[in-house]
Amino acid sequence: MRAASPVYFSTPVASRIMVLALCVSVVCLLGLAGVALGSSGMPLNRVVSAILGMGERSDGIIIWSLRMPRLLMAGLSGVALALAGFILQRATRNELASPAVLGIVDGAALGVMCFLFMFSNESNALVVSIMWQPLAAALGGIFFASVVIILAVRTEAPPLRTILYGVALGALAKAGVTLFLVDGPVHRASQAAMWLAGSVYQARWADVEVMAMVLVILVPLTFLFSRRMDQLQLDEISAQASGLPVRSTQLMLFALAAFLTAAAVSFAGAIGFVGLMAPHVARLILPGRAGTQMLAAALVGGAMVMAADIVVRILFAPLEVPAGAVTAVIGAPYFLFILIRAGRVHA
Amino acid sequence: MAFPFLKCSGVKMRSTPRHLPHVLMLGLIAVLAVVSLHVGIRFTPASEVWRALTEGGEDQTALIVNTLRVPRTLIAMVVGGGLGLSGLLLQTASRNPLAEPGLLGINAGAGLAVVLLVVCAGTSSLTLIAAAACLGALLCALLVFSLAFSAGGIASPSYLLLAGVTVAALLSSGIQIIMVADERTMEELIFWLSGGFADRNADLLYLAAPAIGGCALISALLYPMLDALLTDDMTAQSLGVPVVKLRLAALILAALMAGIGVSVAGPVAFIGLAAPHLARLTGLQSHRDLIPLSLLTGSALALAADIAARFVIYPSEAPVGVLLAAVGVPVLLYLLQRKRIGGAA
Repeated sequence: MRAASPVYFSTPVASRIMVLALCVSVVCLLGLAGVALGSSGMPLNRVVSAILGMGERSDGIIIWSLRMPRLLMAGLSGVALALAGFILQRATRNELASPAVLGIVDGAALGVMCFLFMFSNESNALVVSIMWQPLAAALGGIFFASVVIILAVRTEAPPLRTILYGVALGALAKAGVTLFLVDGPVHRASQAAMWLAGSVYQARWADVEVMAMVLVILVPLTFLFSRRMDQLQLDEISAQASGLPVRSTQLMLFALAAFLTAAAVSFAGAIGFVGLMAPHVARLILPGRAGTQMLAAALVGGAMVMAADIVVRILFAPLEVPAGAVTAVIGAPYFLFILIRAGRVHA
Repeated sequence: MAFPFLKCSGVKMRSTPRHLPHVLMLGLIAVLAVVSLHVGIRFTPASEVWRALTEGGEDQTALIVNTLRVPRTLIAMVVGGGLGLSGLLLQTASRNPLAEPGLLGINAGAGLAVVLLVVCAGTSSLTLIAAAACLGALLCALLVFSLAFSAGGIASPSYLLLAGVTVAALLSSGIQIIMVADERTMEELIFWLSGGFADRNADLLYLAAPAIGGCALISALLYPMLDALLTDDMTAQSLGVPVVKLRLAALILAALMAGIGVSVAGPVAFIGLAAPHLARLTGLQSHRDLIPLSLLTGSALALAADIAARFVIYPSEAPVGVLLAAVGVPVLLYLLQRKRIGGAA
């Protein structure tokens, strides 16, 4: 990693490592809890031996084919959403930005619906590989994100209004999704309500593999941009003066955020507010440069969705409440809180 | 903050006869209502419709007209009108052109109240459901407005709208959790929650129509004060208008109409946003004209959307919310991109 410049050197390296280590251990603990808890609880020693492949066969099946993909999907989609939120907040210099309020999530959902609609045969089976689904989601997300951005730039919209453009276009995309639900392949419609609400309940290994592959490409790309995100934190003129092509960087960041969101949405659905909250938490525990903060945001995001999924399993068992409902119940009041704070500053 | 539409010149206003828009809108509603009785999956000729309406009967055509098309036409007219007027009152009360019961989360509040009532009390009494919807709408409206005003002074339009949208998201996830947790309720309520005018319980109309009419009458009586509210608070106060009380009254009337609308047709968004703005396109600015016009425009919009919903994905029926979003979102975007709205925030 690059040597930190003194300006950003707000947290000493040692404590930054400590904080990151703490995040990692929280994620690991949640991971253990995630495989241990469920409709049948499992003592930790059996969990560990099953993971290592030495326990009973039934334990191994429960963990490896039921709980593990679900857990990994929760973690990975949390990471993707948190990074997308982080990028968007940095790129728009707007602490209220997140993939959901900028219309990317609903756009991606519409992309997925179009994909399923176009590439299903009469018996509702996909005629092309599921691999293409994230791409369709990304196209939908990028389309709606770019409309929002173009509108915001052309009307010189202040931050709150930019968010409202996103909300409005998101409503339009949602209407499109509803239309596909009514008229689309029926077997999807029954599951789609669940998927739209954001759930990792039906995650399979095949999905996890695709998701992991997408993230292996996208996450390093995101970190390549960390220095430019630091520059973007300055005001526009200073950023330009420091040698940053501001507009093109912003555009690339938007595309990256759209791809990250699309990956999460196409497999786990619209898990709301993680993209908003995780970067805020990261900023709180690791103020300063984008690089380490982004790492923290990714870990926090993963932990949040994993925790939400565990809460859902414990509180509502045996029902399958979508994890997205839980993150919304926590995230919406938080959004109101920062909205009021922002209002106080402006007033 | 000035209302942007005050810019319209008074001269142009006087050049059109004042009652022309009202008459035209009534005519449009009549035409739409007649069309609504005739069309559907299959077209019913006028003579058949007339026979069904006057003589009744048990044959298929008569049943379709009398038990399906007549109720949905009436419901669209009543609920649409109520929502349109509710939007106008909210916009005046908050001096915010973006206010609307759907976007401000008021519909979601009514929805959650009804879901809670049905889950906890297991009741299916229509009066109770309507009362719960009104109560939920009122509480939610007060919550959103107090949130928006908590920052001190009158909130910027964007700010109020964002607070509303977030409260709506919160309440909808509450509804979602309850619905998954209680499957019996889900079966009962999932259709109602989808929002629309078709296949609704028309018995509620006996309650809803007088209630919405009453609210409209009260707001019509308040029109000089509502007009004064369009200026700034100081001016209104010096004109002898009890600003705070009037705001509260407008809010209560708007919430009642929205709540009743939700109890009949489920949450329907965007009519409250689009109808008052379409009414203002006539150039009329006084609430004396805007109140009846918003009511009529809301009815016409609801009817038109309900008719269009039957054909968009023929032969199946599209959710009416989709069509209203297709109308409402461009209106919202148009309002947003006018520089004056949104303010510094």
